[in-house]
Amino acid sequence: MSFTRLSPDDFLISADSVTAGAWTGNVPTLTSFNTSSVQVASTSGNYYLNIYQTGSTQTAAEIQFNIAFGDAAGSGSLLYDAGINGKSFTSTVYGQWQNIVLGDENNQFIFGGVTPVTQSFYAISVERSKYKGSIFPGTLALTIQSSSAGGNFDLQLTDNSNDVSTTVFNEAGRVFQIVSGSAGKAIGSGATPSDAVANGMTASGSYGLFLPDVGAIILNATALGLESSGGGVGLNTLYNSNTTDNNPAILYNAISASGNFTLNSQENITSDYVFVRAKNSQFNYSSNPSFISGSTGEVLYNNFINAPQTFVTTIGMYNDENELLAVAKLSKPLIKDFTKEALVRVKLDF
Amino acid sequence: MGYLNNSVVTVDAILTNKGRELLARGDGSFRITQFALSDDEIDYTLYNPTHPSGSAFYGQAIENMPLLEAFPETTQNLRYKLVTLPRGTAKMPVLDLGFSQVTLKQGASLAITPQTLNYLGNNQVFEANGYTATIADVRVLNTFNGVGIQTEGAVALNQTETLGTNVSSTVVGTTINMTATTVNTLFGSNTELNTTLQVIGRDSGARITIPIKITKTNA
Repeated sequence: MSFTRLSPDDFLISADSVTAGAWTGNVPTLTSFNTSSVQVASTSGNYYLNIYQTGSTQTAAEIQFNIAFGDAAGSGSLLYDAGINGKSFTSTVYGQWQNIVLGDENNQFIFGGVTPVTQSFYAISVERSKYKGSIFPGTLALTIQSSSAGGNFDLQLTDNSNDVSTTVFNEAGRVFQIVSGSAGKAIGSGATPSDAVANGMTASGSYGLFLPDVGAIILNATALGLESSGGGVGLNTLYNSNTTDNNPAILYNAISASGNFTLNSQENITSDYVFVRAKNSQFNYSSNPSFISGSTGEVLYNNFINAPQTFVTTIGMYNDENELLAVAKLSKPLIKDFTKEALVRVKLDF
Repeated sequence: MGYLNNSVVTVDAILTNKGRELLARGDGSFRITQFALSDDEIDYTLYNPTHPSGSAFYGQAIENMPLLEAFPETTQNLRYKLVTLPRGTAKMPVLDLGFSQVTLKQGASLAITPQTLNYLGNNQVFEANGYTATIADVRVLNTFNGVGIQTEGAVALNQTETLGTNVSSTVVGTTINMTATTVNTLFGSNTELNTTLQVIGRDSGARITIPIKITKTNA
């Protein structure tokens, strides 16, 4: 009689949300940004730029996120075929994100209610292992530095998740606007350009879309290209035809110069709790070889006959076929005898 | 008057290799329905019923010992299960295989029918749910199966073919059949192969391990 059946009351399923810093080592803020010349020179370098937290050749180097540039007209990169206009790496990136975010090849990106005439954007994709389940809204803090002739200017971007009362969904799940501000709230009207469509935005709409469920940030290239008076950083996105403009590197330089990219990951961990109850009359004898003396099974001590004591060290969870599926060890032996009952909560994480 | 200790001990469980396998199947076979407790690592000779400070201290040496973490290897956990027996039990169930060791010539067969002594008030009894038998190195046997238990799991286990080198194989039954290997190459320059057979009562939890020796007869 080694096995005891569990009843439905002994099971409890609990889903807990766990948040942590998104970058390597659960660090919330990335301050050092590095690229890999090998990756840049490879085929993937035509589409996106991998960003590492340290030199890419160091053993600790891990990809944190990547930057791609998409343009509906295919500007900013070489054409696949010089005789076919509009089909290039940037148009591929545009179509890819159009499919993910909009779901329809005829829909256009709209930022804060404004549809840019030039349909182009920067897509920041956070590594899946970094954002885990999703990006935690309200934690985005991305600083983009301008290097205009008028001097350096930092633009602090965040999502507007703490400003909105109703969450908007699109094909990529939850979607928030990226605005000038901090901690999920846009700056006030006093700091917003007078021609902006809303607080923390510009005349060209918001600075982008924050897509926490797919771990991505779509930045509005038109808004970032505005001068500081208009709320932008004068980001000099290039739109040359059939030319490798390396636009991802332009955004990379602007982010790297600021040294601030903060994100928290979010993960729902489903735990299965099993309540193991050992009643007073159960589990008071042991098949442990040291519990008996000799080969005929006599218990080791005479007082074990009427007052046996056992010491629980391990709990095994079995299926109907007596196959051991999970095992839990106690931190120290738990004494058990006819005068004691034990209740142990076993936690299984999936 | 003090506060009562109402805390619940919480422990984190890990999946065993078998648990991962069944979870990966995704067919619902990963379904926890029962539990068992064990006292692996405990040496009851450390229990001191003559402790001068009284019965509260008999188990002191055991209660304070540190424990190892759980092993994912299925066979290395819950080796010594705690069992529920009536108060006043003087003898623990033990297995009797009829052999203290087994020596087989190449190609020879043997059927082992285990019995459990001192169980459920009987001097000797065949357990209703049968016995689990594990051969440590399946290569030394041409056939190894259990008969007499027709549950779905037992039938599936008995039909499972174990491939690989030096791996164990487990079967379930009331009788365990085995036939020694006829393959010469396993012997190399030796004249015998050695392994162990472990048998566990599926009801009582009693276990026994005996040595198995296969002697070379083919030229």
